[in-house]
Amino acid sequence: MRQLRSATTIAALVLASATAAAAQQPRPVALSIADARTRQAVEREIARAEARGLPTQPLVAKAMEGVTKQASGERIQAAVASLAKRLEQARVLLAPSTSAAEIASGADALAAGVPGAALKQIRAAWPADRSVVMPLDVMTELVARGIPAKHALEQITALMSRGATPAQIASLGSSVNADVAAGLAPDAALEVRARGVMSLLPSPAAAASSAPAGVRPPR
Amino acid sequence: MSDGQDVVIRRVAETLRSAPEAVPDPRAVARLLSAAWETPRPTGIRRWFGAWRMPALSGLGASAVAAAALLMGFVVRGAVRERPSQEPAMATGEFPVPGGGTPSAGVPVVPAAAVTGEAALVPTQFVLDRPDAHAVALVGDFNDWQGGETPLTRLESGVWTATVPLPPGRHVYAFLVDGTLVVADPRAPKSGDADYGREGSVVMVFAR
Repeated sequence: MRQLRSATTIAALVLASATAAAAQQPRPVALSIADARTRQAVEREIARAEARGLPTQPLVAKAMEGVTKQASGERIQAAVASLAKRLEQARVLLAPSTSAAEIASGADALAAGVPGAALKQIRAAWPADRSVVMPLDVMTELVARGIPAKHALEQITALMSRGATPAQIASLGSSVNADVAAGLAPDAALEVRARGVMSLLPSPAAAASSAPAGVRPPR
Repeated sequence: MSDGQDVVIRRVAETLRSAPEAVPDPRAVARLLSAAWETPRPTGIRRWFGAWRMPALSGLGASAVAAAALLMGFVVRGAVRERPSQEPAMATGEFPVPGGGTPSAGVPVVPAAAVTGEAALVPTQFVLDRPDAHAVALVGDFNDWQGGETPLTRLESGVWTATVPLPPGRHVYAFLVDGTLVVADPRAPKSGDADYGREGSVVMVFAR
């Protein structure tokens, strides 16, 4: 009887360890794709991305977006493969940033038509340890509203150099959206709103003297 | 049985017969039954643990069990994910609403299932005026476009709404009406959709 209980104790410990170890493994992707061939193809794409160190959550979301929108299996596969390529490009362009959120935002920017060089410039405008998710997202939104990428990039990097906070940069995108919805031309909306945010920031000289190491002074 | 014992038994019997009949007090019986009912009864697991006796282990065996427990704790630590805090975002009292407006009182905040983020989450209200709908859900990049994750609540006016804590940034979303129909938010800017050809909407979330 005593031997039996000892064996039970050891078995319980081994079982618990094995269960916990299994839980720590990469979780299988919950893809509710009815078509088995599509599901397997998407799972392979996600596994390849994971092996390359790319974030996989955007790929899962892209596949599930296709399911929700009742897209064909071919379209879902193509969309996921295309996003995986953009994630790879964004990671290279945004180096040394490695956060999943930044890489995903970079991939979205590329999809919206933001040039790769703009991603590099946005990354370079702030120190490497500071997330550029918000500048990238605002850049994406401005370009999506029809503002030329060059114009949008100038305004965003100027704000970044002057020490604007992510919230201030986000408010720029939000205000421009509201103005465009109200009928203002996108370019004009950006100019007006960028000027408004800029007026809240310290002067270029003060920004240059108080900028943390790595932040480029305004031109 | 001896004669002496018979005498004792006879006397006891006579004494009991002459005593007045005991009438049970109903309240006392009720208290007794109540106490017996409230006494926690050991469940199957408790009975099992009650019967359990830790096996005697040698010094080496005890060390092995301790090491296994430490290893298990270390392994489990990686499996447990930290929950994102919602309090700082809620404390701001700011509710960015696509297309303007203010959140309705009494409407629950729905946690977006797939939300993960580096920054504090910002409660963001979504609104769809669709009185004819039977069910409306929010789908977007923040919940992996899963229709069942973020249902909207129908108000008496027929307006559907949900307030969802989201990480700051640009989010693409749509409404899923009656489980199948994907509808863009008429109150928000549109997002193109080169992949699937069904445009959604965009919300810029930021902590004010």
